[in-house]
Amino acid sequence: MCVLCGQMFSEIHWSECQLDPVQVSQGSGETSRRQERHARIRLLRKVLAQYGLEISDDWSATSYVVGNRKGDQRLAAAMGELWRVAEQMAGRALDPLDESLLERLRSLESTA
Amino acid sequence: MTRHGRCAITILSGFLGSGKTTLLRRYLAEQARGDVHVIINEYGEVGIDHHLVHMVEDQTVLLQGGCVCCGRREELVSALRDLLDQEQTGAGAIRQVVIETSGLADPVPVIFSLATDPVLRHQFAVPLVVVTLAAIDAEAQIRRYEEVRKQIITADRVIITKSDLTTQQEVARCRVAIRALNPTARMIVSPFGEAFDSLAPDERQDDGRRREIMLRGSIGQPQQHPSVQSASLALDSPLDWTGFGVWLSMLLQVHGPNVLRIKGLLDIGDAGPVAMNVAQHVVHPPEHLPGWPSTEHRSHLVFITRVIDPVRVAYSLETFQRAAGRSDLRVQRLG
Repeated sequence: MCVLCGQMFSEIHWSECQLDPVQVSQGSGETSRRQERHARIRLLRKVLAQYGLEISDDWSATSYVVGNRKGDQRLAAAMGELWRVAEQMAGRALDPLDESLLERLRSLESTA
Repeated sequence: MTRHGRCAITILSGFLGSGKTTLLRRYLAEQARGDVHVIINEYGEVGIDHHLVHMVEDQTVLLQGGCVCCGRREELVSALRDLLDQEQTGAGAIRQVVIETSGLADPVPVIFSLATDPVLRHQFAVPLVVVTLAAIDAEAQIRRYEEVRKQIITADRVIITKSDLTTQQEVARCRVAIRALNPTARMIVSPFGEAFDSLAPDERQDDGRRREIMLRGSIGQPQQHPSVQSASLALDSPLDWTGFGVWLSMLLQVHGPNVLRIKGLLDIGDAGPVAMNVAQHVVHPPEHLPGWPSTEHRSHLVFITRVIDPVRVAYSLETFQRAAGRSDLRVQRLG
């Protein structure tokens, strides 16, 4: 548990597990943890926009906030849960092999 | 205990009559200390294998009357927890646990049970999956039985048993059939159960050398199962780890059952690579190695997929990496 914010770190998704939980709980790895989350959210925004969804961090940068254009918002604690939540809100599977998604990501790259 | 203070665990799987118990009996007979524990799962209502093993090994637990991959996972978890309790109360050290599954078991749910249990995942190392396959009529068994194909795909090592009962040509055909399903598995030919030491935990795996051997396995053998495909991918520059995590977690969420296996060493721009090992939806914790096992420092990933076209996977990975800021990264298919 983080001594500063009281958040529990009972489960760390494998894609985030290079973080050292001890460092995070002591606050010494907080800067790099936040930088990684910012980078992850930047990429997730590009992906989820294809499905009409938005994403941001909660105040403590420990949960993802997924929203749609109707104003609905849901929290996801980790990456595994994020995809399930996003799929439910989008009403369809989020497929990284989907041609239109890949085209969109490539086009964003060319305009960046 | 392994170097990292966790107990080694070996899952011994293989189809009915493929020589699992013979191999295990010989292995146990060679162990001087009594610190190898055995859990046996049998499908029938009357267990026999544990009596055979019991002759050489006292520390045997039998899970009987069901298949460990579907009906008995809770029992497996509690059997392993009991072993840990016994060790902590001073009943004897545990160096290794061998789980002999029934011939019909899919090893993946067993790995999943171990990886998701809050106690066991901290006490046991990533399991080594050893699969026995009888050289006699191996091609027909692979063609006929989904269980055999699943076991081979999940294997770290495939022991080709009963090679003394058949011809060298049949053994060679057996090797080709295994390679077509799993390009990363180490194959060991075992006449008369001689390769029993293949059940030993691999002390070398910590430095990545074993992974290198697996990744250098030949790719592109003739495919016997059109729906199962394997591909080896190489990346020409360091990848963005965060972007890789987003991509792979998304891929497994929607295609998990069809991504049968992923193994690889990933260059993330550090001194050593990150080792990945995925068996269907089960992702073993990525391991950051201190150094590269060879002079070649570039990412390699082997994918074994069902239905999904590996070319599509490669293109998707490259697209996500570019979207994550690695605009110069190229994913190349080696075979």
